[in-house]
Amino acid sequence: MYRTTYRALVRFLYRKVWNAERAEDLAQEAFARALIHKPDNARGWLFIVAANMARDDARRAARERRHLTLLTAEPQESASATDEALEVESDRARVQAALDELSPRDREVLLLWDSGLSYEEIAAQTGLARGAIGTTLSRARRRLVHAYQAGKAGEHVARG
Amino acid sequence: MSHVDEGTLHAYLDGELPPAEARGIDAHLAQCLACRGRFDEERALITRAGELLALAAPPDRELPPFRAGDVRPLKRLWWQVRLPLAWAATVVLALGIGTYLGSGSAAYRESAAPALAPPIASVATQEDQSREVAAADTPARLTYQRSRAEPRVAKRAASPPPASATAVPQAAPEVDRVGLRGALAAPPPAPAATFGFTLDSARAVLGQDPVVVPGAPIRAVRRDRMMGYAAVVVIEQQVDSSSVIELVERRAATANLDAVVVTSAGETRAPDSVTQLKEERRKAEPRADAPAARLNARVAPVDAPSPPLRRVGNLEIHISGPLPADSLRKLLQLVQPVKP
Repeated sequence: MYRTTYRALVRFLYRKVWNAERAEDLAQEAFARALIHKPDNARGWLFIVAANMARDDARRAARERRHLTLLTAEPQESASATDEALEVESDRARVQAALDELSPRDREVLLLWDSGLSYEEIAAQTGLARGAIGTTLSRARRRLVHAYQAGKAGEHVARG
Repeated sequence: MSHVDEGTLHAYLDGELPPAEARGIDAHLAQCLACRGRFDEERALITRAGELLALAAPPDRELPPFRAGDVRPLKRLWWQVRLPLAWAATVVLALGIGTYLGSGSAAYRESAAPALAPPIASVATQEDQSREVAAADTPARLTYQRSRAEPRVAKRAASPPPASATAVPQAAPEVDRVGLRGALAAPPPAPAATFGFTLDSARAVLGQDPVVVPGAPIRAVRRDRMMGYAAVVVIEQQVDSSSVIELVERRAATANLDAVVVTSAGETRAPDSVTQLKEERRKAEPRADAPAARLNARVAPVDAPSPPLRRVGNLEIHISGPLPADSLRKLLQLVQPVKP
């Protein structure tokens, strides 16, 4: 269970906190809580807890300016990175920006699906009808791709 | 049949449609060119969205061990709570040992007032003992006392050597005699330092199951302290009627781990062997109630400068005892965790 879910959980959390270490910490903490609470449906429970933790984390981050400076200081670590790494990084940033343009519900459904949850599990977690998941996903995917392309085009225009 | 809506198409492509519904879609796609076109579009869209999300995936790292997450907060708690407790326990232990030794040495001092009486005085407390044994016993007892009564012992230490020299024909160096007594290993009175420290306490202290040589009776379990280790437990096991081994199990202190790794092997070992020696001296006293002289020739000095180590989980295990080094190494291979 841990083996299969941990990576999915980190993947899910990473798209929310955009910091690999933080995502791993949160995933570990979610598992630790799961050990204490021993929920029936551990997998679904983990994602709910993780989503809540990520939200709290984001709120805290917004409250503490210190955290903000920490985040902005982070890219400097990779200052000596290669062009390729920089390209990967800017791609990541574009996807992040595109995800930010989705509605919270669409984004949640998309991230949960991408983390390997089934329609059933996503429906249980988000409170949506199972039949609505396909529609939500199709909308989310379309918007993500469009937002990404728009962002890329915008950059090219800006660069001249 | 009506055309397929996007949501259904995505569910179909995601493999999330019930089989009956999926068969209906198959049938419709087979005959509807428009829907087949949309089908291809949606499939490309799903692929593209997947690719984009993959761009924003966290770096692929090694899967951390499962326990790491829940042990971390516990460990912090352990230190917060246990460190003061450990100090309290240390104080109690020190007082206990002090009282124990104090009573012993008080009697010793009273009857020892005449110049060469000490050996005889200490014999009086133990039944059925030869004069030689008592005399041989004296240096060990004195070295042990030194910690609490430094000046007095220093004076007294001068007198016993002649006595023991006459008593034991081969005036072997002291280390030899200590080793010898470790070898005698007659069942001593319960060691004072035990204080109800059990395998369960050892388990709690070490954070995992202590290991023992299966089948050998455990004579004593006690706690020890060593620099660089969060927990040290010594388990004494009787391997045959005349030999007792000591299993020293150590859990490295996480805080000091870097420091321990950085220093050279020789340095980390040094305090170790010192502790070993002290241990053996301490035991020398109760074990002296067996014919020392008889075994004197048989037993070689126990002097293992680098006891073989084995790691079980986070524990560092080594065994010392009055056995050849290769036997100890074999025993080391035998040790297994004791399950509660």
